[in-house]
Amino acid sequence: MSANVTQPTAELLGDQPAAPRTTGLWRDTVANILRQRNAVVGLAIITLLVLAAIFADVIAPIPPNKVLLGTEAGVRKLSPPCVHLLGCPTDRPQHLLGTDTNVRDEWSRVVHGARVSLQVGFVTVGFAIVIGMLIGAVAGYAGGVMDNGLMRLMDVVLAFPSLILAILIVSALGHSLINAQVAIGIVAIPVYARVMRASVLSIKEQDYVTAARALGASPGSILLRRIVPNSLTPLIVQGTLGIGGAVLEVAALSFIGIGAQPPIAEWGSMVGLERGQLFNAPWLIFGPGIALSLTVFGFNLLGDGLRDALDPRLNR
Amino acid sequence: MSRTPTWLPLIAMFAVTAIVFSACAGAASPSPGSASPSAASGSPSAVASASASASAASSAPFDATSYPETAIDCANPPQFEGRAYTGNISQIVAADQYTVEFHLCQPDVAFLSKIAFASNNIQDADWLQAHAKDKSYVRDANGTGAYQLKEWIAGDHLTLEAYPTYWGEAAKSPTAIIRWSKEATQRLQELAIGTVDGIDNVGTDDFQAVKDNPELALFDRVGLNVFYMGFNVDQAPWNDEKVRQAIAKGIDRQRIVDTFFPAGSEASKYFTPCDIPGGCGGDAWYEFDAAAAKQELTAAGFDFAQTYKMHYRTKTRSYLPNPPAVAQDIQAQFKDNLGIDVEIVVEEDATYLTNSSKGDFPLFLLGWGADYPDVTNFLDYHFGTGANDAFGPHFPDVEALLKQGSAEQDPAKRGEIYAEANGLIRQHVPMVPIAHVGSATAFRADVDGAHSSPIGNEQLAVMTPGDRNQLVWMQQSEPSGLYCGDESDGDALRACEQIFESLYGYELGGVEVKPVLAESCDPSADLKVWTCTLKQGVTFHKGGELDANDVVLSYAIQWDAKHELHVGNGGAFDYFPALFGGFLNPPAPA
Repeated sequence: MSANVTQPTAELLGDQPAAPRTTGLWRDTVANILRQRNAVVGLAIITLLVLAAIFADVIAPIPPNKVLLGTEAGVRKLSPPCVHLLGCPTDRPQHLLGTDTNVRDEWSRVVHGARVSLQVGFVTVGFAIVIGMLIGAVAGYAGGVMDNGLMRLMDVVLAFPSLILAILIVSALGHSLINAQVAIGIVAIPVYARVMRASVLSIKEQDYVTAARALGASPGSILLRRIVPNSLTPLIVQGTLGIGGAVLEVAALSFIGIGAQPPIAEWGSMVGLERGQLFNAPWLIFGPGIALSLTVFGFNLLGDGLRDALDPRLNR
Repeated sequence: MSRTPTWLPLIAMFAVTAIVFSACAGAASPSPGSASPSAASGSPSAVASASASASAASSAPFDATSYPETAIDCANPPQFEGRAYTGNISQIVAADQYTVEFHLCQPDVAFLSKIAFASNNIQDADWLQAHAKDKSYVRDANGTGAYQLKEWIAGDHLTLEAYPTYWGEAAKSPTAIIRWSKEATQRLQELAIGTVDGIDNVGTDDFQAVKDNPELALFDRVGLNVFYMGFNVDQAPWNDEKVRQAIAKGIDRQRIVDTFFPAGSEASKYFTPCDIPGGCGGDAWYEFDAAAAKQELTAAGFDFAQTYKMHYRTKTRSYLPNPPAVAQDIQAQFKDNLGIDVEIVVEEDATYLTNSSKGDFPLFLLGWGADYPDVTNFLDYHFGTGANDAFGPHFPDVEALLKQGSAEQDPAKRGEIYAEANGLIRQHVPMVPIAHVGSATAFRADVDGAHSSPIGNEQLAVMTPGDRNQLVWMQQSEPSGLYCGDESDGDALRACEQIFESLYGYELGGVEVKPVLAESCDPSADLKVWTCTLKQGVTFHKGGELDANDVVLSYAIQWDAKHELHVGNGGAFDYFPALFGGFLNPPAPA
């Protein structure tokens, strides 16, 4: 009888999933990300972009700002894409994405543009996260007047349309890529400050924070060693999603001529300078345009994946 | 407690309204011949005011005026706060109702071409008195032309309608719309789909597309212009003539022409285009030689470690159809040919001309389109006594020659003088003339009378837009104002020329002058007095008949920088001193 009872029980136990192994937060996170198709696609796109940025000189050896007049026979402005392997006559100079109005290699400019755009995205969002994290952490932990004051300040910044405020800031600081990054960074601060504050408000009521306080830890120590590290997850998710937005906004500023200045190969500025060639030389619009879209798409997919991967409520 | 009857306030309001109305009516219609207190003072502006009153009272005897009351003594030019009068006009006299005399200090062989220019259009004296001080004449207009201004929707369009009692041939189309877009692509697209009938400045890369489209017609425009890179010779490092000469050799101008400008363009040999008689004398501009240029820069001790700013605006003009691309090529040439780092600074369109005129930019890109086909229009405007400060301090040797040249009647001698002036400009290098740029207008093929003008003053009144009842013209920018005595932008001047007229004008699509508001202007034997007889029966759009006092005041308020009506739009009045040598009461240098 007992054997009869034992057998099904063993079978039942055998069907149960194995007890989860403790593998660490980062390994779990990576595993979770890899389980999501969108996130994998996003990660692949970003990886490709990063590799293109790192190896830009190899992938596109012609310097992006080099005017090719006088250096290549037969080169002219607005040459259509020409790849000899695909049947382009060999007497025409080979340029994967043709040449722009200033007779520069468009492929080189698009590839080197990845450096600029990725740097813009990371620096801008990094700047906004650091400042926003400080403001949100102080406001959330201190509470009271400090919280009220800082958050109303953030509300004021949020009250302006972000791009308009960025244009205002760049106009005041002067037209340049760095100023455009600062401007976009400033208008993004409130988002991160709010996210951080919400996390801090929640975490500071946790038992381990209370325990630390009971053990005599200083407020600064509690904030830096207990609360901030445990509040980073939503910031990372928000930051990843924000990189795509930042790249797009800096491109918008460059498109209207107040961000990256010539001859910097920045995608928005490239589209802006060649916008009159939409019908004559559409590849000059599509090249940087597609690169820009891919970048934003990649970061958005990755951001979504990270959110799902890092949110325990969504773990399956 | 008593209550005020309700009818009492009504009576009081009625009484106040009646008093105010009668006061205004009295102010608006002074008795004929009455002089304002300022008129008695005898100041130049007071003379003009008195003349305006006379003009308003058409039934009163004509009160002929002159400006100033006493002619300028050209032999002993008056000093204005320590600054000598440099102008060439001695006095403007309304000899009778339809006769005006221009007394000059020295002969001016280009006089008729100058008075034909749009900045010298004639406005009603009463209108000027009423609308100059508050600048309302900048957005409204009262001319004598075939079209009158119906409305100006800021940022969108101007609507012109045919003036029913125009003295000449009526406008072919009852309505003309002026629109604008700075994008050549948009202009061409709108033309191709038929939402506009004509466009200015076809994009450099679109000429063939227009030629290939049977529904469109292309009208080439001769390159009566110059595109140049200017220096403020007062600002380091461009204050060194050797440096400027080296830069002049280090820029491959032919490459710029070949790459960015349409067919019909050429690299400049002189500042003045060679299509202008007498413009091309003396040594041609420096040949491109990057190696020699770099050596000369090194010898001059040029600081290659610095980054220098080059200013430009993105507004396309006939002399610069793609500003960003050209600016980037010059930037690249500075780097590749000379090893100099140049930072491009994009300036606001609205303030670019004003700031460059003040000499704010050490290195800048600008150009000039001919207003009339004479050397003086190029050289005097930029390097003469009345020139602005864009290039910094003037060159006295060039100024002296230009003054001599404008007075010389013998074409051969005049040519020699300008050849010498060209040589001095080449030596001083206040700018590098880069190109004379061809351009084109394009129209729907069914627009009858379509044309292009070498000086950019296309006349909409002679065009019939097929079977449509309105002609739509699209240019590059919104006119900055319609008081063209103080405008220097081609798009504003073209708009003015549809509404206003000058004593003389230019032939359709050409550069020969012809009488317009004048029956004729005839010189004295010594060419120092020009007597203009006005057409009779010419009326202004908002009422009033043209007379000699309108001419005197139209010129006087531009000429006298202290005239109470010398207001303008920005107040620079760039053209008048450039055309006639200088202001009365010139303002202190900036």
